[in-house]
Amino acid sequence: MDKEKVPLFGKWSYWYALVIGFLVVCVAVFYFLTKHFS
Amino acid sequence: MSPIDWIVLGFTLGGIIAYGLYKGRATKDLDGYFLSNRSVPWYMVLLGIMGTQASAVTFLSAPGQAYTDGMRFVQYYFGLPLAMVVLCITFVPVFHRLKVYTAYEFLEQRFDLKTRTLTSFLFLVQRGLSTGISISAPSIILSSLLGWDLLWTTIFMGGVLIVYTVSGGAKAVAYTQQLQMIIIFSGLAIAGYVVVHQLPKGVGLTEILHIGGKAGKLNIITTGFERRGAGSGAGGGRGGFDWNDRYNLVSGVIGGFFLQLSYFGTDQSQVGRYLTARSLTESRLGLLINGLVKIPMQFMILLLGVMVFAFYQFHKEPVFFNQTQIKLLEHSKYKDSLATLSGRYDALEAQRIVTLRSVDSAGWPYAIVDPALVDSHLAAMEREKAGYKATVRRWLDDKTVGGDSNDTNYIFLRFVTDYLPAGLIGLLIAVIFLAAWGSIAATLNSLASCTIVDFHKRFSRRNLSDKQEYRLSQLYTLIWGVFCVAMAQLAYGLGNSLIEAVNVLGSLFYGVILGIFLVAFYRKKIGGQAVFISAVIVETGVIVLTVLSRKGIVPLGFLWFNVIGAIGVVLLSELLQPLMRRPQQQQ
Repeated sequence: MDKEKVPLFGKWSYWYALVIGFLVVCVAVFYFLTKHFS
Repeated sequence: MSPIDWIVLGFTLGGIIAYGLYKGRATKDLDGYFLSNRSVPWYMVLLGIMGTQASAVTFLSAPGQAYTDGMRFVQYYFGLPLAMVVLCITFVPVFHRLKVYTAYEFLEQRFDLKTRTLTSFLFLVQRGLSTGISISAPSIILSSLLGWDLLWTTIFMGGVLIVYTVSGGAKAVAYTQQLQMIIIFSGLAIAGYVVVHQLPKGVGLTEILHIGGKAGKLNIITTGFERRGAGSGAGGGRGGFDWNDRYNLVSGVIGGFFLQLSYFGTDQSQVGRYLTARSLTESRLGLLINGLVKIPMQFMILLLGVMVFAFYQFHKEPVFFNQTQIKLLEHSKYKDSLATLSGRYDALEAQRIVTLRSVDSAGWPYAIVDPALVDSHLAAMEREKAGYKATVRRWLDDKTVGGDSNDTNYIFLRFVTDYLPAGLIGLLIAVIFLAAWGSIAATLNSLASCTIVDFHKRFSRRNLSDKQEYRLSQLYTLIWGVFCVAMAQLAYGLGNSLIEAVNVLGSLFYGVILGIFLVAFYRKKIGGQAVFISAVIVETGVIVLTVLSRKGIVPLGFLWFNVIGAIGVVLLSELLQPLMRRPQQQQ
């Protein structure tokens, strides 16, 4: 169905992992900021 | 506003209108009018979906929300990246393969006409009403702070963009959103720089975070298990999960996921943006990068609110930011009391700032960073100040006054008009207008596309030529534009935080609409009859639940309505399907 080349990573699953991984990093950084500055 | 502010405002807004008219001039048929001939690159898809989601209220309310309630609102967006991934795997490939104009066309192919019509109808009702709020919210704020006539502000906020939206359709919307987002980000970045620049020497970003943190504004992550009143930060006291708490990690990830999946996957104002992409890859790329940048962007907007909070630690904070409400009190039975209170408040603020600056000779900002340095005298002044503010709010809540005691939406713009230099005020006001225009223009385009594709063309027996369809699309866009401006006039008096009003209204319908699509994609054995009946029953239930929640009978935050609506439709369809005949059409 989707024959187009996936940019940068070659597979869409890597893109999905990047997005979810970045969310986890954001939550971790925010948790650190909350704890550190409270 | 000074003449230079008016010049900046006029030039910016006029430029956008001219650019929209220029870019949309070649559009002459339905495909071009609603889908930009499917020619848009991924970065314009990205800016389009960001510009559609971020309305004027986002930029007005979010800093104020961080100022009053802290930064925990960012958790509302935690479900967004997950929703982007699910969309790219499931929804977007199907929409592209079927080459639909609206998301609801797919439902007729999968279920039947009545399910498509019901879902499209729910979208039209919800979007038509919420767009009225999207216009009225910034109009009220601007007219209050700048003394502009409310009717004309509303017309300018929701009416002028109709010119290029009617003329150029989706292409004009996409190109203007691109430019609008660049101006908006630039304006906010400059505003952030100016806030920091105006802070006293020695107060930088780290000190701002310390000041915000000590005041409970850096409650970015909350679990929902903190007891109310025991501190909203991560270190608050422990208790049971607060289902009524609107923004926390759990409701943000779960409730936010369902809300964002529904918004981006089933709301035509968003679907219409990524269907304009030149390929499936470009659509996916735009959505996934939105999943990467949305949370940091929202974090920065909220951080701006914390910066403004830090600023007012060293400058006189108004007893109430919305000056119109103060004028209301000046003409009420509280006139004399207000004069006495204002005198005491002003003296207290002057004394507080002098005290604050003089506490620590080594670096006075640390006077409020380190509680040990804050003497009891200063703490007592903070309590007295809070008491004066509470008194003003109580007076405004008095029915004989009929005021609005919610000041959240006025904080950022009051700061802008009081402290930013000439020219920059005009730019920030333009940012508010552009944010409104980008969101409303995309909505008008989607409302018109659903009206003509899901209703007019679907039910009319007349065959129309390309030119007739194009003209009719322009007419529907114009009608929806006028309708939304009229709704904005009726929306005044909703009260509370306006950004939440828009979100609550969305949660009334989004869950059920998402439930219908989830059944369509994932439960292939369920037919149109079962899902239609389920949707009607669950929607009724969600509305009843909302009323009970607003009255405090059922303690439930609005984000959970999305979960209940979506799962309710899926489960009820499963139960009803065995009672129905086998589905006639399956994908």
